Amino acid sequence: MAIMMPASDQAVLARRAEIVAALRAIVPGEGVIDTPAEMRAYESDGLTAYRQPPMVVVLPDTTEQVSLVLKYCAGQGIKVVPRGSGTSLSGGALPLEDGVLLGLGKFKRIREIDFDNRAVVTEPGVTNLAISQAVAHAGFYYAPDPSSQIACSIGGNVAENSGGVHCLKYGMTTNNVLGCEIVLMSGEILRIGGKSAENSGYDLMGVITGSEGLLGVITEITVRILQKPETARALMVGFAQVEAAGECVARIIGAGIIPGGMEMMDKPAIHAAEAFVHAGYPLDVEALLIIELDGPKIEVDELITRVETIANACGSTTCQISTSEAERNLFWAGRKAAFPAVGRISPDYLCMDGTIPRGALPKALARIRELSEKYQLGCANVFHAGDGNLHPLILYDANKPGEIERAEAFGADILRACVEFGGVLTGEHGVGIEKRDLMPEMFSEIDLNQQQRLKCAFDAQGLLNPGKVFPTLHRCAELGRMHVHAGKLAFPDIPRF
Amino acid sequence: MDTLKVRDAKDVEEVVRAAIANEQPLEIIGHGSKRAIGHAMATNAVLDVSALNAITAYEPNELIVTLQAGAPLADVLSLIDAKNQQFAFEPMNTAPLLGTPALGTIGGMIAAGLAGPRRIKAGGARDHLLGAQAVSGFGDSFKTGGKVVKNVTGYDLCKLLAGSWGTLSIMTEVTLKVMPKPEAERTLFLRGLDDAAANKAMTAALGSPFDVSGAAHLPTSAFRTKIEGLGDIAGQSEALTVLRLEGITASAAHRAGSLRELLAPFGTATLVEDTVSAALWTTIRDVLPFAADGALGAWPVWRIVCPPASGAALGTLLARETGGELIYDWGGGLIWAALPPKPDAHAAAVRERTNAAGGHATLIRAAEDIRRTVDVFHPQAPGLAALSERVRASFDPKTILNRGRLSRGVAA
Repeated sequence: MAIMMPASDQAVLARRAEIVAALRAIVPGEGVIDTPAEMRAYESDGLTAYRQPPMVVVLPDTTEQVSLVLKYCAGQGIKVVPRGSGTSLSGGALPLEDGVLLGLGKFKRIREIDFDNRAVVTEPGVTNLAISQAVAHAGFYYAPDPSSQIACSIGGNVAENSGGVHCLKYGMTTNNVLGCEIVLMSGEILRIGGKSAENSGYDLMGVITGSEGLLGVITEITVRILQKPETARALMVGFAQVEAAGECVARIIGAGIIPGGMEMMDKPAIHAAEAFVHAGYPLDVEALLIIELDGPKIEVDELITRVETIANACGSTTCQISTSEAERNLFWAGRKAAFPAVGRISPDYLCMDGTIPRGALPKALARIRELSEKYQLGCANVFHAGDGNLHPLILYDANKPGEIERAEAFGADILRACVEFGGVLTGEHGVGIEKRDLMPEMFSEIDLNQQQRLKCAFDAQGLLNPGKVFPTLHRCAELGRMHVHAGKLAFPDIPRF
Repeated sequence: MDTLKVRDAKDVEEVVRAAIANEQPLEIIGHGSKRAIGHAMATNAVLDVSALNAITAYEPNELIVTLQAGAPLADVLSLIDAKNQQFAFEPMNTAPLLGTPALGTIGGMIAAGLAGPRRIKAGGARDHLLGAQAVSGFGDSFKTGGKVVKNVTGYDLCKLLAGSWGTLSIMTEVTLKVMPKPEAERTLFLRGLDDAAANKAMTAALGSPFDVSGAAHLPTSAFRTKIEGLGDIAGQSEALTVLRLEGITASAAHRAGSLRELLAPFGTATLVEDTVSAALWTTIRDVLPFAADGALGAWPVWRIVCPPASGAALGTLLARETGGELIYDWGGGLIWAALPPKPDAHAAAVRERTNAAGGHATLIRAAEDIRRTVDVFHPQAPGLAALSERVRASFDPKTILNRGRLSRGVAA
């Protein structure tokens, strides 16, 4: 394992049997898992390159039990790692050797569907897709649609602020959650927000969303639901140069059109996807755009024409427009299967997740090509082009000595380039452990200290999911210290009135 | 009173560091357009950021604009308007309601976070703040977020800064998302509905696939003040329930037709277009019927946010108990309540009824002596209040920034 996790607390490990017994007293029966064989299922999440069995797994099924578990652990100084469905691509749910893995898998009930307030109150273990399915009969859906939506839990979505192909138009998780019930590390249960559009006071829901399980354990979530658009159609447009595809994306946005989704694939990704799903992708193009317009039919038809005109003006070499749902789904089939498709052409791959300003797309692709040469590893690129979110898939073979290290170095260089081009380290997968040590590329120590001070406001002992997000851990007392200069500073010499 | 007009972020850091050393709290202002919101601050030193007014970068194709916090909102709006773009959350102009001359600055717009009618579709200020550079109460300049829409790198401190009323940090530069302006807007209005029926009509419209971007209800009495630009829409002394559709012309017109059919059980809806429609929504956004220079100018005004379908029940009850006047926005989820003058501005009734409906209420306009005895911002449950205070202290442990603005009785 290339990444250092916080040192295990030997005193805690020595008391394992006692801790397991105490947890069994809180969560009886099968809710506590402590045999190595059974715990194997929990030793990694979607970032499978990293594995670590936890000290013990606890699967509570009430908020009260979550509260008691956390209170007990806080009292005993035991670390806790929360976990939803375990689909994180950044290692957010990687267990700790001396930590309790707190699974929310039993929180599987949708508590309330309120069509009048356009809200669903749900437990965190419910899958993203299940929410949409539960309201589909009335024409509603939950907008954020991460690729893993069939498996990922809504609690995990809140923890990671998950996106998806439609977030260009409909926003990420943070733009679609209204409130939650959260249990702090102390065991305190709090309710934040509800069915109102805004909450009172500081926007704590906003900062909890995307906090990667470091601030609290969510036991209930209220999400906003929307009416499904009347119709959706897609264009599949091929370009002989990546630059032309990038220009097309910029011009569509510049024309005031916000598509429901706008995805780009480069040649290696197109070929891998086509070989896998036979979607009819053109194989002689350097870049393929899939652009989906949704809304009333009259609007979609009009916008399809406008986008087609823009694509032609940008020198597209092929342009197909879906005329049926089956055809639209086929256009998407390749893109949606891009990751497994790449998995067929390479024994292993690393999926990166940087975001850049849209305009930097050609520059970023050129850099990735150079790096691919330098590291002698292939790379297939799929992008959420509309919002500049890149998913380069670095191809490697874990069985060849040194390849994983080279792949990781390649990935780190891509993310550094994203920051250099004015972007960020992660657009939707989270920092977790994967990008933790790259945080200083984007943030100064002062920036990171301010974030960690916020963590202290929620978890003063630093017991909840330590080792994730922040490269260096500081004690809260140290972070809170004011560096007051000796003597009294005068107000500086600036204009006064 | 000492006013310190900072020239750059370095000045801000130095002023805050000096303030920490001298245990001197600071009131943070831009144009001062919203100074009358909140409690009187426990300080006599003012930090004025209005000279930090540069437009750092505007990139229409990236849908972002980066600005210093003191940039005048009016200038920024005309800049982006020239490229046919807008802040989709429709920031409210509080000047008419508060009787202040200025529209204010970008920093004030975010720190107050008062979104207009399109909040129901496009989100609030918090959804459009992508990144910020700010000086904390430690006297340190830090950054959060970035200049791209899709970003989950580190905690999203932008969400906390939006709506924090300058109590967490002094923003010096911000990056905001801008969106294309719709080509056309159409507004349907229904006449003569009572509040409950109007709430039902708005709920039906917002639960439809027609992408409604504004849903408001103006009871009869909202028109006691003559509103410029609305012509005879407002002249018939009947309640108005209004629903807005925006987008490309053909689509807005088509959806207006479909929505009119859907709303048939509530009456026959009339259609107004572009300019008239825009004037109507400005009236609602800025709560012009309750303007400081109008008939209700002396009445305290509450801003109540609640689950949208409960709006009419809550509003009707409050109006009956207090004799107040109401305007509903956000499909019932936002109630502007102008209540007859009373020493406590009817706080007990407002808070009790609002709590029961699962909402929260802010006393947005009231004389200073009222604000001395009434909580302007909604009191939170003890656990949540304690967490909020810890969050505040994590940015500003010595309570240097806008001390006392959010809660009464914070000692100087």
